[in-house]
Amino acid sequence: MAPNHSNENGSIGSSLHGVTAREQVFSFSVEDGPSSQAIRSDDPTAKFALLVDSEHRAKVFKPFSFAKPHMRAFHLGWISFFTCFISTFAAAPLVPVIRDNLDLTKTDIGNAGVASVSGAIFSRLAMGAVCDLLGARYGTAFSLMLSAPAVFSMSFVADAGSYLAVRFMIGFCLATFVSCQYWTSVMFTGKIIGLVNGCAGGWGDMGGGVTQLLMPMVFHVIKLTGATPYTAWRFAFFIPGFLQIIMGILVLTLGQDLPDGNLSTLQKSGQVSKDKFSKVFWFAVKNYRTWILFVLYGFSMGVELTINNVISGYFYDRFNLTLHTAGIVAASFGMANFFARPFGGYASDVAARLFGMRGRLWTLWILQTVGALFCIWLGRASSLPIAVLAMMLFSVGTQAACGALFGVAPFVSRRSLGLISGLTGAGGNFGSGVTQLLFFSSSRFSTAEGLSLMGVMAVVCTIPVAFIHFPQWGSMFLRPSQHEERSKEEHYYGGEWTEEEKSLGLHEGSIKFAENSRSERGRKAVLADIPTPETGSPAHV
Amino acid sequence: MAIHKILFASLLICLLIQSSHGATKERLFSDLEKSALEVTATPSRVGEGVVLAAGIDKLSITWKVSSTATKEPEFKAIKVKLCYAPASQVDRPWRKTENELFKDKSCPHKISSWSYDPAVKTAQSFDYTLERDIPTGTYFVRAYAVDAKDHEVAFGQSTNEDKTTNLFSVQAISGRHKSLDIASVCFSVFSVLALLVFFVNEKRKAKIEQSK
Repeated sequence: MAPNHSNENGSIGSSLHGVTAREQVFSFSVEDGPSSQAIRSDDPTAKFALLVDSEHRAKVFKPFSFAKPHMRAFHLGWISFFTCFISTFAAAPLVPVIRDNLDLTKTDIGNAGVASVSGAIFSRLAMGAVCDLLGARYGTAFSLMLSAPAVFSMSFVADAGSYLAVRFMIGFCLATFVSCQYWTSVMFTGKIIGLVNGCAGGWGDMGGGVTQLLMPMVFHVIKLTGATPYTAWRFAFFIPGFLQIIMGILVLTLGQDLPDGNLSTLQKSGQVSKDKFSKVFWFAVKNYRTWILFVLYGFSMGVELTINNVISGYFYDRFNLTLHTAGIVAASFGMANFFARPFGGYASDVAARLFGMRGRLWTLWILQTVGALFCIWLGRASSLPIAVLAMMLFSVGTQAACGALFGVAPFVSRRSLGLISGLTGAGGNFGSGVTQLLFFSSSRFSTAEGLSLMGVMAVVCTIPVAFIHFPQWGSMFLRPSQHEERSKEEHYYGGEWTEEEKSLGLHEGSIKFAENSRSERGRKAVLADIPTPETGSPAHV
Repeated sequence: MAIHKILFASLLICLLIQSSHGATKERLFSDLEKSALEVTATPSRVGEGVVLAAGIDKLSITWKVSSTATKEPEFKAIKVKLCYAPASQVDRPWRKTENELFKDKSCPHKISSWSYDPAVKTAQSFDYTLERDIPTGTYFVRAYAVDAKDHEVAFGQSTNEDKTTNLFSVQAISGRHKSLDIASVCFSVFSVLALLVFFVNEKRKAKIEQSK
């Protein structure tokens, strides 16, 4: 049985493949089979530090290792993403100083916050194509090193307009989310990609928390050397700038695009036909589930991004904390990402094992709604200990929801997987822009009221998850279709290809994926009355 | 789990801060004796549309206990502060005027503090150079009289009750420095150049590999 994988290495349809979870899971991934022996006798796999599959993607995840190329790519990827989060939200904890220096109003501050997350809507969409064309290393390095000048240019800012423009330009670097997830998905095999991407995403998001601690500290140290506050904050921005340059150079020198080498050197080796971007785009846009996920992520990640911008100032102003202490409290919000997001992905996986896709959808709804309810509580808390408690519970709920969402996203489409993940990611930034604009950019609501209202909006905007229905797996309230054809995964994923394309065999990858996705039936997968793959091994993982 | 430790630690910190607030919560501004002090503040430069420069220009401040002050025996010290005029509070909730004294944020800048000597009845005056961290805005000067427990009991200000007269404008320092600007440009150029060098180099190496 020949490994029949249409590995679209470089095809646009898979540019962000496995950005989330469950990428290509090969039905022959059983350890002791004649096919795997054939692989082991291949010399190339022996030179990797970790066990690899036939595409040389790592099958194990060892977070403490820096082995080339897999673990090294993981660490370079998430640290780059982490650095970009630091830069994007570096202004937030220093706003109390910046607003006096530049004579900003609440509207100015709010608008700059919106601007800081808006740029990434477009850069995240473009990054997929960049990674396809130039490889993940250059995607990451471009993001880091071309936005570093924007970070340094904080030293020139003199009024509200230039402040907004600079924050907008710095925000472009959040595209590293896409390049980081792309990089891990080419380096790690489908079975573990959920955990790997959850860790990379969560640990990168932590940057939004670390910056709330780092920047006040740097600011304080620079003031100690004798600088006035209004010079110290400008100089403080040099630190994120340096970090970006250093990471960019590390990525280019230590990193490797693909398990077998760099993209430019591998460019000539057999590329499978690229999928047509227009088709991929159309199938992504046509699928209503894409847009529901867009909205959902806008109110989990979007809320998280907004909080990164407003929470430090909120604690500083409302509870009269020092800049330093407000930073510590605000940092705790972002730091919870370290385990909260991977936990969300893990919870989604466990729910899937028991209840299939319906379990995933319920997990997502529960986590996101509970998080939003705690956000409402946070806005209403008038004593500091209660506010901190509400904030911590809110952070865990919302961040776990982010992880859980990317447990669902990979199943929405196989052909347009990458684009959907990119669109969902952009939805996060869009949601953040909307919430900041509505609730935190004018004096109509106090920040406390804004927080509660944002929580209410998040609860309402999480309800659409009930409308995500898969004919083969069901939805939150509806059972899977009993229809002969529609109840099969092949029908759903095959439906993205025309008859003509099917006759050319272009849909083989989707069929393979459909077979492997039978695990989303939950415990019923074992009892499913569907022809099993040739190996005869159980379909569920 | 790590999160429990963080949560616990931050709760402890918060409770400690909370307990240090003390019992000053209910003291209101409206309870203070108005115009117990006569305060004047004269900028070093006056005129239509004159904006004082922080760190450079001075204020000449005088204060005197008014003859009508009834709480005068309680006075132990006089605290002089720089306060925001309404124009500088618009759309800036962090400078809001609140009646509860501990919440009020309209007078954050301390000018000076003087212990009160009941024997001296004449007006006290001093010069104050505007600090370099004073933000841009419109201001007036207010002097609070505090008692032995450091609680405000009376005040006087250089403007009228509606805060419309005798206001002065201050322009903050920009905080920009030539050396900072130059360093910024240098590092930015380095960043872009380094990327280009790597890129071109690799493309060249790939071409050489291919031609082999």
